[in-house]
Amino acid sequence: MKYPQGLQVSIPKYIFVFANNLFEIEKKISISGDPGNFSRNITKMRESLEEHGITYENPEGEPFNETRTDLDASISGNGTENLFVVEVIKPIIRAGASGISAVIQKGIVVVESRNQGEADE
Amino acid sequence: MSKLVNFGIDLGTTNSLIAKFERGNVEVFKNPNGFKETLPSVVAYRNDAIIVGEKARTYAEKDPKSVSSRFKRKMGTTETMKIASLNSSKSPVELSAEVLKELKNFIHTGEKPQAVVITIPASFDTIQSNATKDAGELAGFKSVILLQEPIAASLAYANKEKNIDLKNSQWIVYDLGGGTFDVALVKIVEGELTVIDHEGDNYLGGTDFDATIVEFLIAPALQRLGSFEDLVGQMKSESGKFNRLWTTLLHKAEEAKIELSNKSSTEVDLALIRNLEDDTGKSFDSLITITRSEFESIIKAQIDTTAEMMKKILTRNSLQSSDVEFILMVGGSTLIPYVRKRIEELMNIPVNTSIDPTNAIAIGAAYFAGIKEIKDEGVSANTRTSQGRLKARLGYNKNSQELSEVFQGRFEGDLKDLFYRITRDDGAYDSGLKKLSNRIVEDLPLREGEFNSFTFKVLDSQNNEIDVGGNSIQITQGKYSVAGQLLPEDLCLVKDDLGKKDTILELLFSKNSVIPTKTKKTVAVGKTIVKGSDDGISIMVVEGPSENHSSTNKPIGILAVGGKQISKDLLKGTDIDLTFELSESRDLHVSAFVNGTGQEFSQVFEPKPRAVPVKMLATEILALESKLQSELKDAEQNNNIEASEKLNKLIFQVQDLIVTAGTLSDDDVTDDRFKIEDQKRKIAQEMYSATSSKRVDVARSSYLETKREVAELVNRNGNDREKHAISAVFAREQVFLNSTNPEKIQAEIDELEGVRFEILARDPEFLTGMFLHLVERRTTMNDQVQAKQLIDNGRRLIDQESWDDLRIVNSRLWSLMPSTEQNSEEMRFFTGIV
Repeated sequence: MKYPQGLQVSIPKYIFVFANNLFEIEKKISISGDPGNFSRNITKMRESLEEHGITYENPEGEPFNETRTDLDASISGNGTENLFVVEVIKPIIRAGASGISAVIQKGIVVVESRNQGEADE
Repeated sequence: MSKLVNFGIDLGTTNSLIAKFERGNVEVFKNPNGFKETLPSVVAYRNDAIIVGEKARTYAEKDPKSVSSRFKRKMGTTETMKIASLNSSKSPVELSAEVLKELKNFIHTGEKPQAVVITIPASFDTIQSNATKDAGELAGFKSVILLQEPIAASLAYANKEKNIDLKNSQWIVYDLGGGTFDVALVKIVEGELTVIDHEGDNYLGGTDFDATIVEFLIAPALQRLGSFEDLVGQMKSESGKFNRLWTTLLHKAEEAKIELSNKSSTEVDLALIRNLEDDTGKSFDSLITITRSEFESIIKAQIDTTAEMMKKILTRNSLQSSDVEFILMVGGSTLIPYVRKRIEELMNIPVNTSIDPTNAIAIGAAYFAGIKEIKDEGVSANTRTSQGRLKARLGYNKNSQELSEVFQGRFEGDLKDLFYRITRDDGAYDSGLKKLSNRIVEDLPLREGEFNSFTFKVLDSQNNEIDVGGNSIQITQGKYSVAGQLLPEDLCLVKDDLGKKDTILELLFSKNSVIPTKTKKTVAVGKTIVKGSDDGISIMVVEGPSENHSSTNKPIGILAVGGKQISKDLLKGTDIDLTFELSESRDLHVSAFVNGTGQEFSQVFEPKPRAVPVKMLATEILALESKLQSELKDAEQNNNIEASEKLNKLIFQVQDLIVTAGTLSDDDVTDDRFKIEDQKRKIAQEMYSATSSKRVDVARSSYLETKREVAELVNRNGNDREKHAISAVFAREQVFLNSTNPEKIQAEIDELEGVRFEILARDPEFLTGMFLHLVERRTTMNDQVQAKQLIDNGRRLIDQESWDDLRIVNSRLWSLMPSTEQNSEEMRFFTGIV
């Protein structure tokens, strides 16, 4: 099955700005807490994007290897085996209808080699 | 770990079956008594014993008042069946559960299935579907999965005719069973069966043919032989003198009908009917002859209606007869030769009778059960062999519940300097270029709940692709090989339309959307709800076309949030976030998060069974008739010929209904009243669509007027953003002006009005005018001191031409007006949400 025609339509730049910033706000909240309960509003904004087929994903903690083409990774440290995403600068943004979607922005991440014990946590 | 369901049940109106999927094959279990596959859906209560099936049918003749049958058609209604020997009543759900329990005895393998697939007509509404699920649970199944019958029939067919290439073909499933009729357009898309569209009548089937035989052939013959006053009426009424005879004759008629499939005529032996006497006490021992042509002539109209429904589907999907491969015949009533002949004749599409119409549904249900919850076991591997230099065999699971799936390839031939590469088409995976060997194994990562498409390429050292006979790998994660079940009707939320003091429907799930599914809506509270008051809001969901009025659709459930439940006052305009989740078995879970109070309310809608009292039905039909008459008058005055023709036709139909409803006694035992209620609703829906053109016309002309005025205003005073906003509306004009939904047009008008107001709010003339208007009303304002200050201030601002500040003064003056003045029009709230 080919992806729907709609996916070939160029996505306006503001969508990327919007999604990247929402992601950043979420990240900030996760670090400094959410005393004002902004999460609900952010969820609503994210769902509004989803209704239009735009989703973003946080790959933090996910394993990384060279077959992943949805990430642009910088390897920190010396090891190149058993890599995991340790920091996400930009999320992966996908577009598409339910059941079928495609990457429209690669995630920009930092990956690091972990020893086995850490990976299992 | 996880097991397969494997057991499938066809819970039919007249007959039920059970089948099991095992190692790729389906076995239809036979009744240990008599070794028949079918179990008549008949339940008899004798002393302490419950008898189900063939034997129960036998008692139907001796003691019809303690025997119940054809209850599937009353599923989802409040109707209960009186059982004389028990001195109480049983609900259709309880009776169905008895049939299901009996079917368990068919399982000779000693298994005790905890989960089962039960089939339902595609046209079953949510209430009826839930009732079926309840019956399954009552029969002791812990998990009941519902499957629509056309999908089941198609699965049976597709699995039987494995050698026929069904790729990209479409066909119609014509399912005329004992009590329900379903017709569905089915297509294979990418190897998955999908129901594209369907129509149906839950009150049409073999049982109706039996009733027709009794009413139009046997009863008239009896009347000729003896003297009866109102024989048919006395048979159909529960308290009627001949009520027992009705059940007996229905059985006789069924026997006659079956015989007529093979013979050109048959006899009903009156001597075999116990205690048959006419009003004068005369008994009968003669034979009534029924010929095949007599039978055909009385069912012709009903068969023709079924063809009409198929034509509707074709028209709706812009298809011609030649686009449809065949009509797949299922359901016992398609064994009637006339049905097959007439349908082929009317539709000009070949009928396909290659599967056994009596057990096809059960077999299909078992196939479906065999792929449900598939986890560890593999589905058939997709094997390919290439031509030319390379021989390739590729294997992988097409359906997976895992997040990665193993892909294997075996290659024979000259593999020197060859490479391969697998990429996922969404751009998230690339195996990289790897050396090809005799055997390759790759773990392909899958996205959850999605259709994952990969491209597999074999390349030579110059990066030229080598043909290995197809390069696409398609794996569906977390789904089943049936593309999903479709929702038979729109599900809509009822909201208040303040402008028209009426309600409007907002679409939640559209017809033919694949279930399970989920949606979210945000609505606003239309009026302030004081904490502790009796006031409240209702979140009401109805089933039926979204362009109709809520009253013509079936209510599914109401989630009420009352003043007593909220922790503080709920102010008008507060947002409520609603989440609607529809499960595969059509349970609707509704939750409402009230932003103002931070409370969450939720409920699973367990739709109430339908109650249709005869008296109320008659009143409703009469009301519908007078509404039709007034719409007709309207249409005639406006010279709307098309609408008046349609309305005239509907009036004709509704008058027919009045007559039929009039003949119903209050204690009518047949399911006629449900049929009539169904027809009434269909007429109401058609009336709404016939007159929608009237409302569309009004909306169109109002749009054009608003467009002219707003365009002029924007050209004169609008900024770039406003120009952009209205040109966006104009750009989609073709689409919404051609829609049949007046609400859609109204939404666009509202958008233009919004732009108009924005511009006006900057216009000195408008601001001054509004200020003066408010000044005139200063006596009614709440705070006279503040009002005076504001008015003085406003006058100064006009002199200074400080328009932005004047706008603020205006809005503050407006807020001083009493709320009765602000909302001078009296509002009527139905649901309290807008």
